[in-house]
Amino acid sequence: MFEVIPPRPAPGGVAGVGGWIRRNLFSSPANTLLTVVTGVFVVYVGLSVVLWALFDASWGQVWANQRLFAVYRYPADLLWRPMAVLAAMMALIGVMGGAGRRNEILRGLFWSLVAFVAFVTVIALLFWPSVRVLWAGVLAASLVGYAVGVARPSFVRGLPWAWVAWLFLGFFLLYGVTPGSGLLRIVPARDWGGFMLTLILFTGIVPSFPLGIALALGRRSKLPAIKYVCTGFIEIVRGAPLIMWLFVASLLLPLFLNTDPNNLPAILRAYVAITLFSAAYMAENVRGGLQAVPRGQTEAARALGLGGWQTTSLIVLPQALRAVIPAIVGQAIGLFKDTSLVFIVGLADFFRVTEIVANQPASLQVTGGVKLELYLYVALIYFFFAYRMSIASRQLEKQLGVGTR
Amino acid sequence: MAVADRRPSVAPRIPFWRNVNTIGILAQVVFVAVILFGVVVLVTNTLNALGRANLPADFSWLGSRAGIPIAETPIPYTPNDPYWRALLIGFLNTLKIAGIGVVLASLIGIAVGVMRLASNWLVRSIATVYIELLRNIPLAVQIVFWYTAVLLPIPPRINNPVELPGGVYLSNVGLAFPFLYPTYRFGAWIPFLVVAVAAVVIGVLWRRRLARRSERPVRVWPLPLLAAVAIAGGGYYVASLDRTLPDGLAIDFTIDRGRGVVYRDVDGDGVRGPRDPVMPFASTIVRIAEAELTASTQNITESGGVVRSTFRFPMILGRDVEQAVVAFGDPDEAAERGLEIHFTRFPSRGVVFVDRDGDGAFTPGEEIDPATLTGFGGVRLVMTVFGYERHIVADRDGQVRTPAFSPSGTVRSAEVAPAENPFSVFGAAAATATRDDVVPLVADVELRPAGPLVLSRVHVPVSSYEGGMRLTVNYLALLLALVIYTSAFIGEIVRGGIQAVAKGQREAALALGLSASQTFSLVVFPQALRIVLPPVISQYLNLTKNSSLAPLAGYGELFVIATIVQNQTGASVPVALLLIASYLFISFAFAFVLNIVNDRLALVER
Repeated sequence: MFEVIPPRPAPGGVAGVGGWIRRNLFSSPANTLLTVVTGVFVVYVGLSVVLWALFDASWGQVWANQRLFAVYRYPADLLWRPMAVLAAMMALIGVMGGAGRRNEILRGLFWSLVAFVAFVTVIALLFWPSVRVLWAGVLAASLVGYAVGVARPSFVRGLPWAWVAWLFLGFFLLYGVTPGSGLLRIVPARDWGGFMLTLILFTGIVPSFPLGIALALGRRSKLPAIKYVCTGFIEIVRGAPLIMWLFVASLLLPLFLNTDPNNLPAILRAYVAITLFSAAYMAENVRGGLQAVPRGQTEAARALGLGGWQTTSLIVLPQALRAVIPAIVGQAIGLFKDTSLVFIVGLADFFRVTEIVANQPASLQVTGGVKLELYLYVALIYFFFAYRMSIASRQLEKQLGVGTR
Repeated sequence: MAVADRRPSVAPRIPFWRNVNTIGILAQVVFVAVILFGVVVLVTNTLNALGRANLPADFSWLGSRAGIPIAETPIPYTPNDPYWRALLIGFLNTLKIAGIGVVLASLIGIAVGVMRLASNWLVRSIATVYIELLRNIPLAVQIVFWYTAVLLPIPPRINNPVELPGGVYLSNVGLAFPFLYPTYRFGAWIPFLVVAVAAVVIGVLWRRRLARRSERPVRVWPLPLLAAVAIAGGGYYVASLDRTLPDGLAIDFTIDRGRGVVYRDVDGDGVRGPRDPVMPFASTIVRIAEAELTASTQNITESGGVVRSTFRFPMILGRDVEQAVVAFGDPDEAAERGLEIHFTRFPSRGVVFVDRDGDGAFTPGEEIDPATLTGFGGVRLVMTVFGYERHIVADRDGQVRTPAFSPSGTVRSAEVAPAENPFSVFGAAAATATRDDVVPLVADVELRPAGPLVLSRVHVPVSSYEGGMRLTVNYLALLLALVIYTSAFIGEIVRGGIQAVAKGQREAALALGLSASQTFSLVVFPQALRIVLPPVISQYLNLTKNSSLAPLAGYGELFVIATIVQNQTGASVPVALLLIASYLFISFAFAFVLNIVNDRLALVER
């Protein structure tokens, strides 16, 4: 006869919340001391920050200058134009999110963006009557895009062209068509700025994508002339910091084109510099992916009778790009942060607006200035987007099994 | 045999447009032609544009006077120096911030990476938050945060710097600390240093051989290092034996300006001419028997608040003088108004007040004049110092500075008794001096023989640091931001490296009886280092390149100086070429090191 012995409960202090706390915080006297010391430190720092933010900080200037932070000096009556471009962007992202809703990462990214837009929309509905409708429109566009993506997943195939169209049409909508006054009047580029400019510069990664692929293929070419030109370009561009290239581009581009510097808006020069710089880094990322594709793939494709271009575009590139998506997301995070360097060519991007606000008479009247508040606000917004992307990058790495496969 | 001869009599000619080799060559020719065409167009355009705007396209301007003031110069520099020297200073400043930054970022990065794996949840979480927060905020934001929001507004002004133990000074101007500098006698020490280095190399090689042959463990490093220290130390002693001053060493000291310059009198005429070079880091003693300093009380705004009735003499420390007396410049008027002196830092700092509550001491509020509701501004005070003696090491430009004293003798009466003064180290601080005769201002400046190295201490003659190593706030802000930002990336790399070391290694080490710290430092860390080193070196390169964000902190490194030079000369193309070449040089230097490291690691791995 056998008797089933009932399982005994775990010994005290191992299981449950108490056990977890004991294991992770108070496992030994030294550990306990460490916990107490760091705990006091964390509570002290945290409490000081919270108390400062609630009672000593003056957030009035941050709140009062939200339009500067968003679009800088873009005319108030034309705000519908950047908002329409934003709505189109959210709609396209929505199509992506809707079509790829089974992909946890895409879904997560999309809903994070929607959450951000919804948050701003709620604030707009409560406090900013002039842009209420516009923000509601952006929110609606994202959801409509999502619905379209769910209903017609095949639309995804047209998305690359849709993005290119968005880039061009968006630029014309922002810039305007007619001089003088009116709904479509030209807004000179010097009035563009704020977070809008940061996003515009961030789109430099779109043209850098094909350029980078071309450079990567060129660098792996068997033809020495092409190979050395591409290698030289990549290494020279990567050898110097972006801020230097921005400075050099703003000096040299007007000379290269033999035109008056005023004919080339600083945004355009910065955009060219950012695109080329990003292309060089993109090329190195793509090259890493190309090297990771086994030789057998190429040989099999050739054996099947595919030509050189077909092998590259149908067999090698898709596998190579898939493998380097996390690296590209990492590069995108870097570029997003690096757009803050355009202050060197006199652009008022999201980061630079802080200084403009800090030097306003209203800011100088606040005792001690409002610099800390402004920088913390800007840092928080940058952090939200960069951190969200880095989470996605980590999930992608896990999904693609980089390092485990 | 029925097998037909399949060899074609004539090889089928491949048309040239389908020949891979021909296509390749053609493609390259076309490609090069297009690139060349593009380059030619750009160059002609550029030359046209330069000609039209009359801008320099060559490097001839490098030799002309720069006129750029630079706050931090590792080598002697004045605004009269040419452009190339200004750019060189910029390059050296880049190296200065990168060199220190790399070391600090590594130390913090390793600490954070190890913390990230700590068994203590709280410590682990702090490290995670540190890394995620700092990696995801642009460096530009972090630099201006440290510079404008943290370092610039901190309270200690240069007039009243915080003195930390060890002669370290901290104020809104920056950080200054004592530093060892090489003197004219350094050359005599160099042979010994060479021998010491050679001793280490030979000794280590010898011990290695011994270690390879011996069955028992041999310590490789201690003996050669000990020998080297002995050689270097003995050499230092031998080199300091010669107590004569070099020929023609002289000082040109203007006492009423409180400035002097140590130089080498090449032509022997006793006067500093244009061909007499300055002598850096000479050791001097300045003695002044009796002299005066004057100051007036001020009502100034500081850190958002108004400080009233304060007076600030140049910093005189207890070790500088035998005796110091502070009195009102016009004692009669002071007596009439009932003014008294309260020292916050005897004898240099204090407040003038009226003892309204009659307790004989300063009470906050008494520095305000009830009639005007402001402080007693503009009251003249006179400090008389007796037996001023200060050991001053000349700076790298030969400069020696004291406060600008004036002849003593205007003191008519002083009744100052800083009774409860914590800073007082003076035997007879409370003195009464009454005199009308003027004592002429005479300085006795002595040049002292020195060893190969001399310890330069910081002092604050008026409102700037002199002597020692001085780091500006700009440098500190940029360094802080770069180090903290990079350390977050290094921390994550270190964590990955430690985790990548096979678990069995750690378990085996523990099973062999090694302690936890031994396991980490002898088994896990060396293996992690192999994985960690290549990406960390590329982070070092990133730090160096990121130092070009210096315009945000106003630190004069290469990029900042180059932008100023471009602005002044209009030489866009040459400056751009110089910048690109400099950064490529730095990048290739790092790539070179990285290759060596990779080779070494590959060898170890077998």
